[in-house]
Amino acid sequence: MFQVIGGRSVQAARVFAPRSAVLVEAVRGRKSRTDPVAKSKVGRIKVPSPVDPVEMVVLKERYGEYQMIMRALRLEFKEEMLRKRYEEDTGSLAEERARQEAEEHRILMDFNHQENQRMLKLRVLRVQQEKEEADCKKLEVILQREQEQQEIVKEKEKEILKLQEDAKNFITMENLDQRIEEALDNPKNYNFAIDKQGKVVKQTVLQ
Amino acid sequence: MPMKGRFPIRRTLEYLQKGEIVFKNRVKIMTVNYNTHGELSEGARKFVFFNIPQIQYKNQWVQIMMFKNMTPSPFLKFYLDDGEQVLVDVEGKDHKHISDHVRKILGKTEEVLQAEAQAKMQESNPANFGPRKYCLRECICEVDGQVPCPSTTALPKEMTGKYRTKMAASQE
Repeated sequence: MFQVIGGRSVQAARVFAPRSAVLVEAVRGRKSRTDPVAKSKVGRIKVPSPVDPVEMVVLKERYGEYQMIMRALRLEFKEEMLRKRYEEDTGSLAEERARQEAEEHRILMDFNHQENQRMLKLRVLRVQQEKEEADCKKLEVILQREQEQQEIVKEKEKEILKLQEDAKNFITMENLDQRIEEALDNPKNYNFAIDKQGKVVKQTVLQ
Repeated sequence: MPMKGRFPIRRTLEYLQKGEIVFKNRVKIMTVNYNTHGELSEGARKFVFFNIPQIQYKNQWVQIMMFKNMTPSPFLKFYLDDGEQVLVDVEGKDHKHISDHVRKILGKTEEVLQAEAQAKMQESNPANFGPRKYCLRECICEVDGQVPCPSTTALPKEMTGKYRTKMAASQE
């Protein structure tokens, strides 16, 4: 069940060996806890092997010394690691580095700030130009509208004048008799044909 | 189909590993505000399209958020771990300029990166034996030309411990 360490000092070694599971492997073996004992092992009483007192004393002393040295070494290495870590985190070099980094960071932030200011100026200029252009366009649109309105007014006036001109040729109650007389006196002939140029080609004779 | 999307090269490992921007440890959050239309946001849009995957690959623990059409002009904002906020105006800039600028103000320099790579190489000594996570090999039996693992092939009798103790005991 246990690994063989040496020839005779198994028991003593078992007492003095470290309690951690480095040396001992407790393996169950083939049988589970519910299996019955084998026939050859039915009446067996396990007796631990006898301990030699002289040997025990010697081994105890030696093991004690050995464990003390090992523990000391381990603790010393651990302390070295911790000291290194501490130095790195909060040592004088670390402070220097931190200061330098802060300095560099400040410089870079200033540079970034300068860039932002420059972009701001450009943007302000651009926005101003766009606003001016928009104003110009608006003025132009207003002017155009006014022009169009004026032209409409002019056209309307022309139509009115034309109408006034035509009004002179209207037939009113006073002109009625006169116009009838005129119409009867001058018979008009609408029976004519024209060619493509608009000249009269044929015409019937009025009767 | 292995090719998905408009520029599937952005999804290749080679492209992602070529990214140059590695942020300093202080940068925790990166925010990009840009517009989907407009000539001035063109650089920002290209930056988001091409460079952000590379940045996220190299800085897996930095949170990157994109906001669209929230402000009239595009900008980047970085939130450092001591509460400081760094604003970078990117209106009208080219995506190359933007990435160079960001790298200059908040990225680790070449020498720092090289020093880190050196330190990492020194820690991982190829001669060490140990768990797979930290070392190349776990046992000498894995090396060609060495004694094979006794779990697979039985050792020759002369090498086993019990034979040797028997011989030693019989000789005494």
